[in-house]
Amino acid sequence: MSPTAPKTRSRPDAAAAFFGDLASRRHEPLLHHATGTVRFDLRDGEAVEHWCLTMVKGDVSVSRRNAKADATIRMDKKLFEGMTRGTVNLTASLLRGLLGVDGDLGLLVVFDRLLPGPRRSRASFLERQEALAG
Amino acid sequence: MSTDVVKILDGNTFVVSDGRGDIEASLSDPTGLFSFDTRFLSKWVLTVNGERLDALSTDDLQYFEARFFLVPGTGTVYVDAELSVIRRRVVANGFHEELVILNHGADPVDLEVRIEAGSDFADLFEVKDALKKKGTYERVVDGECLKLKYRRQTFQRETWIIASSPAAVDEDGLTFTATVKGHGRWSTELEVTTVQAAMEPILRRASVPRQRAKVADSMAKNLASWVDGAPRLECDNDPLKVTYRRSLVDLAALRFVAPILPKHALPAAGLPWFMTMFGRDSIFTSLQALPFTPDLAATTLRALGARQGTRLDDFRDEDPGRILHEVRYGELTAFEERPHSPYYGCADATPLYVVLMDEYERWTGDTRLVRELEYEARAALTWIDEYADLQGNGYISYKRRNEKTGLENQCWKDSWDSISFRDGTLPGFPRATCELQGYAYDAKVRGARLARTVWHDSGLADRLEKEAADLKRRFNRDFWIENGQYFAVALDEEGRQVDTLTSNIGHLLWSGIVDKSKAKAVAAHLMGSRLFSGWGIRTLAEGEGRFNPIGYHVGTVWPFDSSFIAWGLRRYGFKREAAQIAEGILAAAEFFDGRLPEAFGGYPRTMTKYPVQYPTACSPQAWSTGAPLLLLRTMLGLEPMGDHLVVDPVLPESIGRMELLDIPGRWGRIDAFGRGRIDPARADRRSRGSR
Repeated sequence: MSPTAPKTRSRPDAAAAFFGDLASRRHEPLLHHATGTVRFDLRDGEAVEHWCLTMVKGDVSVSRRNAKADATIRMDKKLFEGMTRGTVNLTASLLRGLLGVDGDLGLLVVFDRLLPGPRRSRASFLERQEALAG
Repeated sequence: MSTDVVKILDGNTFVVSDGRGDIEASLSDPTGLFSFDTRFLSKWVLTVNGERLDALSTDDLQYFEARFFLVPGTGTVYVDAELSVIRRRVVANGFHEELVILNHGADPVDLEVRIEAGSDFADLFEVKDALKKKGTYERVVDGECLKLKYRRQTFQRETWIIASSPAAVDEDGLTFTATVKGHGRWSTELEVTTVQAAMEPILRRASVPRQRAKVADSMAKNLASWVDGAPRLECDNDPLKVTYRRSLVDLAALRFVAPILPKHALPAAGLPWFMTMFGRDSIFTSLQALPFTPDLAATTLRALGARQGTRLDDFRDEDPGRILHEVRYGELTAFEERPHSPYYGCADATPLYVVLMDEYERWTGDTRLVRELEYEARAALTWIDEYADLQGNGYISYKRRNEKTGLENQCWKDSWDSISFRDGTLPGFPRATCELQGYAYDAKVRGARLARTVWHDSGLADRLEKEAADLKRRFNRDFWIENGQYFAVALDEEGRQVDTLTSNIGHLLWSGIVDKSKAKAVAAHLMGSRLFSGWGIRTLAEGEGRFNPIGYHVGTVWPFDSSFIAWGLRRYGFKREAAQIAEGILAAAEFFDGRLPEAFGGYPRTMTKYPVQYPTACSPQAWSTGAPLLLLRTMLGLEPMGDHLVVDPVLPESIGRMELLDIPGRWGRIDAFGRGRIDPARADRRSRGSR
């Protein structure tokens, strides 16, 4: 299967944005324990997008290859995009049977650390901080 | 639960049955086969020629294996001793059951042996709270195999039942027909497998791969090497030896392999409700067990570190740096009807994480792990100041953000009425309970030591030391109740002292936050008749508005609590008092055959003569199992000092001579000896100086 090029949409591609941002960081301390490659196979209708995340003690690189990986995770692209926006929880999705996982589950738990929480939770935290300061 | 309940377990798979080996669970009854928080069998009933069986005896000496010796008939009129039935069950990713029927008569007997099976696939939370299911059930006869299925959207759980000998399989069970000749024998083996389709990779990792036929063998070997690896206890006091062995075996039984760390085990919290990773319980138990099985601490640190909070999530009460409270794998968690994926609503596990890391290094010298987890330790220390100070007053306090299914009390006394004023009224939120400040202080002091000696960051060390000193000064001013001469259990949302006298003040001694000048008064309260029952320390003092000797956190004695209080008393030099608590708790353990329950009644020892068990207490429970271990450490006065282990024994007379041999640590292996000289009945209440 050849990687599909991201389609042009009115809405920016959240998966591409997420991995783009991650790649630009080069080093992410939250990943410092992990060494290995995780491949995400994201289903978008008939097509499957591949994203390969390679972690070496916090150093990260991203590619679109359909490469062999230490862990492979299959899911709907929409679900993944929800995770990158903080509206979908990875662990609950896994328990619900929405993810297919092969290989080292530990890497999935490491990846989970990168996902944001709900936007509203962040906003209410900032409000509380302001109230304390004020 | 009735007294003839038989529990066997392996990691987070466990079977609870009646004394015959049968399971007939109602929705609210925690019997059945459970795995990953889901009930996979709620019915499992054996009949022979249409008759239920009667138990002659039950043997569950191994935690993962039980044997039931049965005869047909319910025993009301007479027992037909012509036949006997032996049922042997071993837990492992489901369970394996061997059925043997012996014909003692000279004539052949025709047998119809039937197993009725069924499952409600209840989430453990549903059992606990008696909730209704939302998915659909199916029963499928697939050749020789009976498959019980449950499905809710993409969530699927199945139980497969198959026998080693030919059986007539129907949707409700399996039937065997056989003729057993005189003095003959018939047998079959049943395999019950739990299937969690999407969870397979998790399961494969969580259960050690085993040859089914050798399951019991390999588990027995594993247990033997676990017990052999721990120090050996020699003493005059036989019950203490029983309790020690029971503790080691139960700790082995409660070992839980987190799916994310397949090769390592950490303590789960307790059977039947809490066979999962709990931040607080795993940390406290690891601390208690450090001189005996230090590997538990290493796994606890790694597993909790891997799941440390990284984002703000109000539903899960998650913050960056926060150590989790509880993980669950059942249906309600999957559908986010409960927040345990993981849930982070506890305020003490995070500072305690740093405390455990430092204590672990002091014992083992394993600086590699401390370097490996530097990021997590720093994040935990940051959480104390950045996320836990909800009132901006320099104290950790808690207030749940998940107001529907989150925990109100995020301290170890987590029931709704545990924190109250003397007149019984409940304070508002946020609440800053006192022991949280003690843990925070200790975390800063110990974090400073790690920063200086392992991470080589003297800037951080200086800052933490300064903050710790400041916290101690403020705490001794703001929490001290001058006219009572003890520390308030909490400050409420307006900073008022919540003025009840509680066991929490003992944790303050353990953490070291108490000014030396106040320690004597605190120790006197702990050992006074309002808190000390003769067995251990009551959670809430007699005479307080909500005191109830069988109230969960408002008057019962928790062995774990008492063990840390004894450690605290030792820390401030009250050696005799520590020995007195050790004597009480270990004497109580004798009444439970060496297995201390989660809690027991706070009645005076002189009144009941035996400890009254709390009605729904978990047993075995990890931190109760750990309590005798910590008390041994406390009595022997074991304290790592650089590369040496200091031994300074002060033992109650009843213990007699005691030797703890081959204590592992950075010194290799060391022996400790002690002789009982303290008579608790004539214990000297005066302070014995301080450290």
